[in-house]
Amino acid sequence: MSDQAIAQNNGVVPDAIGKGFAFVFPFIAAIFVSGLALLAIGENPVDIFVLMANEAFGTERRIAATLSAATPLLFTGVATAICFRSGVFNVGVDGAFVLAGLAAAYIGFTLPAAFGVSLIPMAFVFAALVAAAWLYVPGYLMAHYEVDEVVSTLMLNFVALGIAGYLVNGPLLSELSGNNVTPLIHEAAHLPRLLPPSTLHAGFFIGLLMVIAYGIWTRRTATGFEGALVGLNQRFSRAIGISVPGAIILAMVLSGIVAGFGGASHAMGQLHRFVEGFSPGYGFTGMAVALLGRNTALGIFLSAVLFGALASAGTTVQFFSDIPLDLVNIVEGTVMIFAVVEISRLAWRRRRKAA
Amino acid sequence: MIVEQVLAASVIMTTPILLAAMGGLVNRRAGIVNIALDAKMLVGAFVAVVVSSATGGWFVAVLAAAFAGAFVGYLFALVITRANANMIVAGLGLNVLVAGVLGFILSWVYDSSGTLRLPDVVLLPHILPQSLEAIPVVGEALADLDPLTVFAWASVAVLPFLLASTRIGLWLRATGNAPQVARAVGLPQNGIKEFSTAFAGFFSGLGGAHLALASIGLFNEGLTAGRGFIALAAFYFGRDRPVVTALVCLLFGFLEATQIRMQTAGLPPKLVGTIPYLFVLVALCLAGFRNQRRKALS
Repeated sequence: MSDQAIAQNNGVVPDAIGKGFAFVFPFIAAIFVSGLALLAIGENPVDIFVLMANEAFGTERRIAATLSAATPLLFTGVATAICFRSGVFNVGVDGAFVLAGLAAAYIGFTLPAAFGVSLIPMAFVFAALVAAAWLYVPGYLMAHYEVDEVVSTLMLNFVALGIAGYLVNGPLLSELSGNNVTPLIHEAAHLPRLLPPSTLHAGFFIGLLMVIAYGIWTRRTATGFEGALVGLNQRFSRAIGISVPGAIILAMVLSGIVAGFGGASHAMGQLHRFVEGFSPGYGFTGMAVALLGRNTALGIFLSAVLFGALASAGTTVQFFSDIPLDLVNIVEGTVMIFAVVEISRLAWRRRRKAA
Repeated sequence: MIVEQVLAASVIMTTPILLAAMGGLVNRRAGIVNIALDAKMLVGAFVAVVVSSATGGWFVAVLAAAFAGAFVGYLFALVITRANANMIVAGLGLNVLVAGVLGFILSWVYDSSGTLRLPDVVLLPHILPQSLEAIPVVGEALADLDPLTVFAWASVAVLPFLLASTRIGLWLRATGNAPQVARAVGLPQNGIKEFSTAFAGFFSGLGGAHLALASIGLFNEGLTAGRGFIALAAFYFGRDRPVVTALVCLLFGFLEATQIRMQTAGLPPKLVGTIPYLFVLVALCLAGFRNQRRKALS
């Protein structure tokens, strides 16, 4: 399903303004919708938004909380963007992220603690291998048998959750602490915390590295360029000698590796174990991040921080006022829907009506 | 005894999936892969509980749920047809949005997190006399039969005819299968797509109403538990043919009904729960291999 809207291009509007507007528009829509919800319950939306902004960026500690919440989204956003720009509609990042988290935690608590810090790279590599293999399957099926990747990856998400849920309640269940959790990983394998009271950990820098690497890959490498071409026009790509199946599989595998690093970072830095409900939909928020960022490195970074801010502010605003946390979901859903709406087309319709 | 219970439970568990699958099937025939069936089921369940409690009538509740689903479906369709949004992303977004809105309403209006218990919720009636229970094997299933289950299976019987032999069925299939032709003969394609999505919403709303009102009589944020996606799995596996899809739904309903028993038999329920999804993967692969072979031959 190579969709133009996804492959980052809707012409018509002049570039710079168009891009900026495309980034802002879903947010305006989201602010509007959530503002309506707030008005409906008799709160002043402006007050709440100001409060949220303060809670997200007010102090050093709050910024740390925001970046901590943004960390997994950096990975899932990049993982999603890698596929979207190649016209591969991979919605299976969430499942890969979960399995990778389990794989990393498994390395972290089964191997002897004597390995020390070297547990961290081992866990990352193993997690990336698991996640890459996981997404290789739908990639291969899509590339060679035209198996619809949307449905296959969507279904694989549920399978991944099932497998992880089974393992964490059965063979890998911690004997010490009840239900749904694995044992803790060795302390040596913890990613260092950056600003101790907050949970911000070194995984944030790894995520940042992923975003930068993604930017370089898209702009400076042959395979990155080929991926974009395949996303824009498969027939043309084939005609000039690009291996379309190769590009598709490469996108899936790279996406798996990044998702795998993300799962590993979340397990080794944030939770220090695997738990059921490891990902509250990071993969799907990652889609919103990639879409909102229009598959550009800078855009992904900004969107990830924005969604991180939303999550961290949402949790604390709940303490100060009676605003339900579900507001965050309302914003996220609205952003996702309006990120794919073609504004140029809407504008065109309006003009025609006026004329 | 066990056979009777399993059969009765399977029939009940099948109904919501079946309703959503029939809606989604019609929608896909018209060219829209509806990934937001789950959201519409959730809306339906919520509306059904609220209306049932307020009016004390199951029929009004079911109708309200269906129209609520249809309304959400129509809005969803507008985003796709008129604003050219990608249907997959918009669908996933709608699932998130609806969960958010319902959770918001739940905690604000009803001051509860996650579960909505209302007084005087009227459940779906059983349409056959309870004395039928005495019949061996099918007795319990017959006695438990509710109007929505009958409606669901009636729709399975009618839909093949509607799709194959009526004007609207033909338009629908043309819009999905041959957009150029539909355009050439001047069909209102957007209107047809919107109608089919509202139709899917209507049926999903009914499915949600059944989930809420068949036996438990309350609403919970996790009530649908991904059944919208199971329905998607069913019509993908059934390749959009109503009868085959219905049989697949029955199989999924059976799996769900036996899950607890399998657990006591030592099979891990989490793994059994993945079977419907694996089914779809297998079906997709088989279809892919077949297409490939056909292409290689020609």
